[in-house]
Amino acid sequence: MLILTRKLGEAVNIGSEIKVTVLDIKGNAVRIGVEAPRTVAVHRSEIYELIQEQNTQAAAMAAEVSLDEIMGHLRKEK
Amino acid sequence: MKINTSRFGTIEVSEEEFIYMKGSILGFERLTRFVLLIKDDQNPLWWLQAVDDPAVAFVVINPRLIKRDYDPMVYEGDLEFLDIKDKDDIALLAIVTIRANPFRVTANLRAPLLINAANRMGNQIVLEEPSYHVQFDILDHRQELQETGNDEGKGLERLARQAYAAPA
Repeated sequence: MLILTRKLGEAVNIGSEIKVTVLDIKGNAVRIGVEAPRTVAVHRSEIYELIQEQNTQAAAMAAEVSLDEIMGHLRKEK
Repeated sequence: MKINTSRFGTIEVSEEEFIYMKGSILGFERLTRFVLLIKDDQNPLWWLQAVDDPAVAFVVINPRLIKRDYDPMVYEGDLEFLDIKDKDDIALLAIVTIRANPFRVTANLRAPLLINAANRMGNQIVLEEPSYHVQFDILDHRQELQETGNDEGKGLERLARQAYAAPA
């Protein structure tokens, strides 16, 4: 991993189209600004991983289900 | 074009009716072409089958059928990315996860699929609103599912019209 020290207001360029700037530092929280083309998805890592995991689960279970059966369950009165 | 699916066997679909993931379904970046398969009007659960991997199919649902007031704020950038110019071209679908023991059916309302019904380009977007849950429990809201009519919104309605009939 490349490790760089940056001060408030300083930035890092990744390739020619992505720029990450340190906008604010308060205690242990750092606000960063990301400038990237729309084709690059920028997400907080924990959200990204959560959704990736959810998608994987969704695809795995989908292999085995019958939608009619599922709807049967959903339509049952409580 | 004939595509192979592990669930439905070989199906004949036309390329014009593909949905192209211009962005990606996170974790499935390699898959960009999908087809929407709808079994019948009575079942709000639809299939989104990958064209290039027979084994991958997602169960999807119109999020408004389970959460009527679902009206997320979609970023301008996300709309621009798919070249959505008209609100009526917006189609949102939530990916459904089904678990067996215990039986649980949830929909991901936090990261819906945004599809431009006009050019059939799609992307999985991540909403900032944490009140939209990644595991929204459909069982808890099934009452809603039974009461809601076919309020699909124009974009989704158009996609549904061009969908394929899912073989039994």
